[in-house]
Amino acid sequence: MPKLSKKPTHVFLLTSLLITVIGYFFVYSAGSYWGKVHYEESLPFFWKQALYGTIGMFCAWIIMKFPFIHFRKFWFGAYIFSILLLFAVYIPGLGVVRNGSQSWIQLAGFSLQPAEFVKISVMGYLACILANLQNHKLKSFLGPIMVCLVPAGIIMVQPDFGSAFLLIIGAFSLLFIAGLPIRFFISIGVLGMAGLIGLIISAPYRLKRISAFLDPWSDPLNSGFQGIQSLLAIGPAGLFGHGFGQSRQKFLYLPEPQNDFIFSIIVEEMGFIGAFVLISLFILFLYTGYRLAVSAPTKVGFFAIAGLQSMIGFQIFLNIGVVIGLFPVTGVTLPFISYGGSSLLSTWLIVGLILRFSKD
Amino acid sequence: MKAGVPFKLKIRVRTMILLFLCLGVASLGKLVFMQFFQYEWLTLKAEENWDREIPFSQTRGNIRDRDGELIVGNKLAPTLYFMPAQNNDVESAAATLSKALNMDEKKLIEQMSKKTFLVKLAPEGKNIELAKAIEIQSLQIPGLYTGVDYVRDYPNDDLLSRFIGFTGYDHEGLAGIEYQYNKYLTSTESTLRLFTDAKGSSLPHVNDGWEEGSDGASVELTIDLNVQQIVERALSQAMEKYEAEQAMAIAMNPKTGAILSIASFPTFHPLEYDKVSPSVYNQNLPVSMTFEPGSTFKIITLAAALEEGKVDLQKDSFFDPGYSIVEGTRLRCWQRRGHGQQTFLEVVENSCNPGFIELGQRVGRDKLASYIRDFGFGKKTGSSIAGESTGILFSEESYGPVEHATTSFGQGISVTPIQQVQAVSAAVNGGKLFQPYVVNRIYNEQTNEVIIENKPTEVRQVISEETSKTVRETLESVVANGSGRNAFRDTMRIGGKTGTAQKAVNGRYVDGQYILSFIGFAPANDPEIVVYVAIDSPKHVVQFGGVIAAPIVGEIIEDSAPFLGLKTDTDQIEKEYRWGDRIERRVPSLVGLEKNEIVMIDEPFKIEWHGTGTKIVSQIPKTDSLLSVDGTIHLYLGE
Repeated sequence: MPKLSKKPTHVFLLTSLLITVIGYFFVYSAGSYWGKVHYEESLPFFWKQALYGTIGMFCAWIIMKFPFIHFRKFWFGAYIFSILLLFAVYIPGLGVVRNGSQSWIQLAGFSLQPAEFVKISVMGYLACILANLQNHKLKSFLGPIMVCLVPAGIIMVQPDFGSAFLLIIGAFSLLFIAGLPIRFFISIGVLGMAGLIGLIISAPYRLKRISAFLDPWSDPLNSGFQGIQSLLAIGPAGLFGHGFGQSRQKFLYLPEPQNDFIFSIIVEEMGFIGAFVLISLFILFLYTGYRLAVSAPTKVGFFAIAGLQSMIGFQIFLNIGVVIGLFPVTGVTLPFISYGGSSLLSTWLIVGLILRFSKD
Repeated sequence: MKAGVPFKLKIRVRTMILLFLCLGVASLGKLVFMQFFQYEWLTLKAEENWDREIPFSQTRGNIRDRDGELIVGNKLAPTLYFMPAQNNDVESAAATLSKALNMDEKKLIEQMSKKTFLVKLAPEGKNIELAKAIEIQSLQIPGLYTGVDYVRDYPNDDLLSRFIGFTGYDHEGLAGIEYQYNKYLTSTESTLRLFTDAKGSSLPHVNDGWEEGSDGASVELTIDLNVQQIVERALSQAMEKYEAEQAMAIAMNPKTGAILSIASFPTFHPLEYDKVSPSVYNQNLPVSMTFEPGSTFKIITLAAALEEGKVDLQKDSFFDPGYSIVEGTRLRCWQRRGHGQQTFLEVVENSCNPGFIELGQRVGRDKLASYIRDFGFGKKTGSSIAGESTGILFSEESYGPVEHATTSFGQGISVTPIQQVQAVSAAVNGGKLFQPYVVNRIYNEQTNEVIIENKPTEVRQVISEETSKTVRETLESVVANGSGRNAFRDTMRIGGKTGTAQKAVNGRYVDGQYILSFIGFAPANDPEIVVYVAIDSPKHVVQFGGVIAAPIVGEIIEDSAPFLGLKTDTDQIEKEYRWGDRIERRVPSLVGLEKNEIVMIDEPFKIEWHGTGTKIVSQIPKTDSLLSVDGTIHLYLGE
């Protein structure tokens, strides 16, 4: 049993546990009616989530004892293996299509989303490469960039834009932390803006499309449906919400309320206060994670923790942003909270890895 | 063992922390915006989203007469509702129902397949008859409900229809009182709010909510249903008898301004308003129609002359040569030969135009105009009845001596019946001009809470009590001895005056079209009711104008008397006054007149026609011979 003596380690672990438990409560509340209607039992999600959480924490505990964590060869192997898993979704009988994306494999009653594990292996492999980087010239970063873009491209084809986007933005955050020159980001930004402006000037109706894409009310019955149902949960909740278990929108108004949109049920029941507490906990989680990165004993550890932490941070705010109507719907889960084995398992694997890297 | 992270990289880590902090603050900011600034809007939207309400109609306010008798009420007429989620075989349900409702099956399937919680099966299933609803309920179609709903009920059918108006498809008042007081009459429906999931299944352990609506407030009119029935019966008989284009009547309590009856013909049934033209259902003739008042207006000239002390009816006398010349214009009396030497009382009894020109001149141009305005002419009475007209008086510039003269006997100006009733009421009630009104009060029938209550409004004192008394007596003598004889009733003291006017369209007289009117009041010594009746364009009238409207007013007053509590009084004018017993009149000279000119002549006698042709060649009795006022003149026609 590894010794968790340092204070940030405690806080980090406790925060993770606390958020996971909060998740249990709201998977229970949000999913009870959906489960009753669709699976004829009221608590299928709660028990499964509890099981996944336990498995995830057990895995995290295993990882903390794992010896090869700093080995570049190990991460290279994991990287190749996870990319192969990405192709496994196309094997008939193994791959499953869900919500229009072929991004799941099903094995012995459990379904896995390989993209979740690709995200971890890319970070681990990148951390090893970056730890050995000789200088901070743009040219030296070309390799690492390719390491991230190749699997991101494959995920994009499935198509699973959410995961691909997170992988790219997480990886580039790591490259940013690792010293990728600012002018690279500036030129990407300038190029992007120029491209966007060019597109809009060449055909002004695109601006309308972009704004319609961002505004759920433009198509309230189809593409905007979930987004609007989410806003209808949040707005009327006010400061204190309707109280635990008192959500109205979970009664089939908001589809799959235990999943990507669970944050809106939390806000509906606990109000602005609840949202404030949860967001604060996430910020605390991110902050202590970065502190563990800075105090990590190895360079690989620093990069790995920083990369994983950035990716999980973006996942948190991308999910919340979608739920509160700042971004269009992407299908990204809320770490620790949203119902789903792959999501919870991979989140706890990340927690385990961060704790492991912070140790030695 | 530390990795010794370079400072440059630490800065970048802090940048990331700062970025996430900003994202956290931005998220909370958006939440504040939605939960506080958009709170009401989103709550409204969410309620619409959750709307699972079953409506139960409440009744629209009743319209009652001054004694509380029902004029317009409501009757149960259920509306069909369908919950698509509760029926998994919409097609066969639609097949059964379409037969019962006698409607297109395809259209019904379309309605019943809507992806909403509750479909109102309108219009075919809206406000169906109770028996039909029971029949449909017995079909036991899952998801089909009969909801409580009402339609307007008219126990008196088309009585008062042009005044009370009607309601439309959504029970909104569209005309008349229904429209004007819609705000008060409108009910709020009760609703059963069901707590269900998005698919309409009810939720366990949540109680459904009942939201109590309210019935509309009732409007109590000043109308007396009994008087109204008498008036409408009399008018409809006149319409038939004379094949008139239109007829109208208005009865008012001169002591308060309360309208007791208001009627316009032709009429319609409020449930079938779409079968008549808008000019019928949108117009209340006694307030909207303006026309030359004719001789009834002479009451105003008379009152002004008396009030100004310009005439002593019994002592002063006047010679009528049959015309009067004003500024070179020859203004004829209807009696071409002239009435000769007469007292001013006889001037009034004979309705002699030159005599009234003389009275008008004695009052003076500006004084007369100011009396006319004080009596309420030239502006709306304020009766609050929709569509009231102002009428047209001479403007200051165009009011020359000729106009002054014609105004004196009621020609060249245009007024509404309600203005005449208001003015004559003031002339006979002691001189007080009251604002007419039609609504007594608006109140809640359950709680008896009064929302609006109207009291009589005295506008001004126009003439003195003493002058008013003389006007009353004079007008009683017009009925007893003069041209108004046809309004005379044995048991009732009635005063009044005939009016006959040639109809004007776009400012020009129309040949052969007349509006024959009479304004009467009773009891003559202390009037409780003023009744005005006008018959517009009666066809084939070959009688004196005074013979047509006057008896209708007499009949209305006589029949209404028991309902108004008027005492019969045999102490009538013949006995009371010195000019009393004379109930014979001199026969006018009619030879040489065209047959259709007769109607303009203000005499009480009946006519019997002999021969063919258009010109009157001889008459019996001869001119100036005395004839009982109820007597008949025989007229012989020739070429």
